[in-house]
Amino acid sequence: MTEVDITLTVNGATRTGSPEARKTLADFLRDDLSLTGTHLGCEHGVCGACTVIVDGRAVRSCLMLAVQAAGSEVTTIEGLAVNGAGEEGGELGTLQQAMWDSHSFQCGFCTPGMVMQAAAFLSDHPDADEQQIREALSGNICRCTGYQSIIDGVLLAAERYHGR
Amino acid sequence: MKLPPVDYEAPRTVSEAVDLLAEHQDEASVLAGGQSLIPLLALRLAQPALLIDINGVQELSGVSVTGGWVTIGAMTREYVAEESGTIAGAVPLLAAALPLIGHEAIRSRGTVGGSLAHADPAAELPAVARALDAEFVVRGPSGERVVPAAEWFEGYLTTSRQPDELLTEVRFPAAGPGTGVSFQEIARRHGDFAMVGLATSVTLSDGVISDARLAFAGVSDVPARATGAEELLAGERPSAELFDQAARRAAGDLDPPSDLHGSAEYRKKVAAALVRRGLREAVDNAQAVDNAQEGQ
Amino acid sequence: MTAIAAERYTGASIKRSEDPRILTGAGRYVDDIKLPGMLHAAFARSPMAHARVLSVDVSAARELPGVVAAYSGADLEAMTVPGPDALMALMGWQGPTPQFTLLATDKVRFAGDPVAVVIAESRYLAEDGCELVAVEYEDLPPVVNASFALDPASPPLFANLGDNIARPHSRNEFGDVAATFAGADRVFGFHIDVHRHQNVPMEGRACVASYDAGTGAMTVYAATQSVHVTKVAVAMRLGMEQEKVRALAGDIGGSFGLKIGASREELAVAAASRALGRPVKWVEDRGENLTTSGQAREESFDVRAAVSDDGGLLGLDVKMVVDTGAYPGMAMGAMVPDIVQAMFPGPYKMTALGFESTAVTTNKPTYVAYRGPWASETFVRERILDIIAKDLGLDPFEIRLHNVAPRTDPPAVMVTGRPLVGVTAKESLQRIAQLVDFPEFRRRQTEGRERGVYLGIGVATFIEAAPGPREPEGASGPMGMESMRLRLEEDGIVVLFTGQMPHGQSHQTTLAQIAADEFGVPFEQVRVVVGDSDVVPFGLTGGSRSATMTGGVALHGARQLKAKVIDVASHLMEASASDLELADGQVFVRGDPASGIPVGEVARRAAAGEFGAEVDASLEIVATFDGGEGGWSGGSHCAIVEVDTETGIVKVQRYVVAEDCGALINPAVVEGQIRGGVAQGIGAVLLERSAYDEDGNCQSATFMDYLLPTACDVPRIEVEHLETVPLDSDVNFRGVGEGGMIVAPPTIVNAIEDALSPFGVRIYEQHLPPARILELIATADPGE
Repeated sequence: MTEVDITLTVNGATRTGSPEARKTLADFLRDDLSLTGTHLGCEHGVCGACTVIVDGRAVRSCLMLAVQAAGSEVTTIEGLAVNGAGEEGGELGTLQQAMWDSHSFQCGFCTPGMVMQAAAFLSDHPDADEQQIREALSGNICRCTGYQSIIDGVLLAAERYHGR
Repeated sequence: MKLPPVDYEAPRTVSEAVDLLAEHQDEASVLAGGQSLIPLLALRLAQPALLIDINGVQELSGVSVTGGWVTIGAMTREYVAEESGTIAGAVPLLAAALPLIGHEAIRSRGTVGGSLAHADPAAELPAVARALDAEFVVRGPSGERVVPAAEWFEGYLTTSRQPDELLTEVRFPAAGPGTGVSFQEIARRHGDFAMVGLATSVTLSDGVISDARLAFAGVSDVPARATGAEELLAGERPSAELFDQAARRAAGDLDPPSDLHGSAEYRKKVAAALVRRGLREAVDNAQAVDNAQEGQ
Repeated sequence: MTAIAAERYTGASIKRSEDPRILTGAGRYVDDIKLPGMLHAAFARSPMAHARVLSVDVSAARELPGVVAAYSGADLEAMTVPGPDALMALMGWQGPTPQFTLLATDKVRFAGDPVAVVIAESRYLAEDGCELVAVEYEDLPPVVNASFALDPASPPLFANLGDNIARPHSRNEFGDVAATFAGADRVFGFHIDVHRHQNVPMEGRACVASYDAGTGAMTVYAATQSVHVTKVAVAMRLGMEQEKVRALAGDIGGSFGLKIGASREELAVAAASRALGRPVKWVEDRGENLTTSGQAREESFDVRAAVSDDGGLLGLDVKMVVDTGAYPGMAMGAMVPDIVQAMFPGPYKMTALGFESTAVTTNKPTYVAYRGPWASETFVRERILDIIAKDLGLDPFEIRLHNVAPRTDPPAVMVTGRPLVGVTAKESLQRIAQLVDFPEFRRRQTEGRERGVYLGIGVATFIEAAPGPREPEGASGPMGMESMRLRLEEDGIVVLFTGQMPHGQSHQTTLAQIAADEFGVPFEQVRVVVGDSDVVPFGLTGGSRSATMTGGVALHGARQLKAKVIDVASHLMEASASDLELADGQVFVRGDPASGIPVGEVARRAAAGEFGAEVDASLEIVATFDGGEGGWSGGSHCAIVEVDTETGIVKVQRYVVAEDCGALINPAVVEGQIRGGVAQGIGAVLLERSAYDEDGNCQSATFMDYLLPTACDVPRIEVEHLETVPLDSDVNFRGVGEGGMIVAPPTIVNAIEDALSPFGVRIYEQHLPPARILELIATADPGE
């Protein structure tokens, strides 16, 4: 079994590891780097719970090998939080705050992947309408909400980014 | 659902990759985008001894045009192809199909070559390649050969690539004047594989169909050209009755599978509906192009 | 209406306290847990649906580097105590109890039945080890559907049952069934099937079992709807004293009824941890979740309806068959007919019900509770009302208004016995008619048909016992009383300890809203503690009861604690308790806000022993609540769909809900629950089916074949809250967790049938994928 030494940037910090070649990026983030915010919902690339941002693009981390992320810049849900606390006086990113205000989530298991996919989409398509947002998030499965509250959170975030 | 043990190599050049393939033959799997291969490994449906990761082979990326052909390097990411102005202008059928592949995150990693080498008959790109008679360039230990699309797709997930060959690029003919296209797809949900998909290209000359291409996804173990319907269309003026005839002929020529998502009977009905819709859209687009050109 | 003290928070969509951690990746789900020395489990599973197990050889697995242990079913039998399922025992199940083992020993009974467990340094290695487990099977004929299971010739799954009847046929009658049918103008007969589908939470089953050999204590970190049931299940199976077992739960990624108690795999993992003296983690993967965790709803109904010419539904006679899958003793399958029977009349006036049922066991995964397990009663009833209406030339709306029991005092009583007290079914239908312009829709529909566009509209009405009206004395079991411990801390924080186990229900927010209002502190000064069997009272989240039961105990408990605090403060402040108020976290003399003392200071001084023995200064109480007057939840849903008759694709264009769940604690939470349930209903009709071939192989084993609805499949769902009928002087919150999933399927199917009525289509099933839609059109008789 091949182990490969890798160095990559995760949430702005240089991280190293020696994962087996077969280890997915998702498992490397969760187990080797203890970044358990990225979730495993299906491990075959359909549900989107494992979505992270690699070199500026949203990807399914269960469909990448950790070794393939060598030299890349990876952002996980933990990297979106400004200071993590989210208490009154703390600061969430605009998208996360809008989703909090919109009651976007219930059990929270789909949340990290949904937030990362929404963040990637909004940064490329700041003027997207509801239908476009729905299509962009149609690869992220949520079992609790029926999606409306999530869409509302994304729409609210878009408004706030525009300073409306 | 963890991947099985596997060795790993990451060649930097095509010739290193080919050397590895020559050594390991069908004990090795080529890892391109991974969006089709990694799920197979996770489900332990495939257990190669070696993964040859070609993501580091720079010479396999890129889109260029030469002499009426658009050449797409095998490692060109689907999202790059989607954003390519060259492809949008010269291979509109490919441009129409690309946004339907899965979801954005899949297209971030998935590659044009990978999808075509994986050859899932329900996928979009094989139908486009088959419709346009694309050419597949493979390199092996004894050199390069070019395989036309008609000979590329051999069976379910099976191409004529030999175990010691690497797909390096795919060439699509640039669309001629007066050409309109359509990619139709009926899937259970947005972004899913097609239950039935149809790539359509129609060229009009003086209002007459000079060339018609129809290739189905999801109706066979390979993408299926509707040659009977194409012959019926050639030389005719577009009309609803003509499209109907073509639809019945195309559906009648099919022997689709039945599975959890649709029976053979269902697929035939949908195929016919897609032929009507695809021809309408392609002809509308061709007429718009034709009018635009006439207006010049 | 409800006499909440301050009503600052209750009734408002207060932002959730759960969200900061959820939104930043700081939630702690079972798979996030890492303990020193922790190992990982994977299960070797049977590929056969029905077979004798001739031998199991785990030796090759044991020898794989990185594998620490491998146990067969026989090994686990030697480590554990046989017995009935803990939850069934708690609920007092008296019926046939099939005998089976944690892992298969002599027989496998469904494809995926676990035969061995491999424990290794990583999940990767454990799965590698599973591939090395060698099992010899002797094929047996599979029993894959209910009709074969009913046949005495079918090979019995369980030797001790002797046949495949999990619950023998029984029949009950309510009212005079024979006379009602004899006197009816029309008698209709239908056969209706509800298909197999399943919970599919985004997080599957998972646990970390950690046995401390030094102390003999077992800690189980579980994804569960009740830490107490998990604890009891583990203690019973391992033959341990309950006091030695502690069940903990953090964040849970949904459940919808799946994760109750402890599954066979979780118990096997606990036994392995004890044998090894090390923590062992098991997280089921999606394949396991889809093929082995359990499935639901596979029921068929033969229904006769006694009807009057003007559309009166006088009575029903129902025969139900439930396919409870393999290992039925564990779950709802054999019990669900009782609830279906009780609920069949719904909010309607019918005066006769005959109900008979049989439950069978088959070579498929166990029938588990799935959000509104009895929902088929609403599906069947609301479906046949539409068909009867069409046959009689009546409007589906009007037939419901005609049949809904009027709200009277004393209330109408369902023919199966429960009073329809406070039911607003009629109001909900009328509200739908205000929100949806039916005549305008019919014009659009007619115009569309001329262009080959097929629109349809469907309505359905339901009630659910959330928690249900007050029961006569002595009628309740362990789900009938709720307790809560409340404590005022020295820093002024009010802590609520509840046995509720939220997995998306937002209890940490909603209960804090109520307690903050009732006690008199800001919302931020309340903490809700869940998920520790050493610390919280018995409880279980399920059955849509927490709004009433736990909301109610929080309300009353907060009042009781407040009274205690005021009493203690009265000694502190040398004022009479009746002159004191508690608001905004301060105790003060009425009319003199400057006299205020923070509640934390009261607690500090009480704890310091300032008051002497004659003052009860313990600021911790245990409150209980029996549901008060209880009540029904319910409502009417309406869907507008478009059916593409060339492809069978159905689009839900509009979905409207008029609901009554009593007083709202948090409207955003209520709406979220309803919308999530409706989405599952849409999924059930258009996308989801747990499919099996004739050999019992699962055909929906990945997310490529078991299809969940996405953001493109679920429209905006408009939710109107009806003004409710208050029944209790204080607690009028009612549950809303299951209603959406109960009534959405018939709403959607009614709309689809309406869209296809020009073709003469009649629908007697719940699952309508595109191919089925085209089949129904092709085989229908437009002359009907």
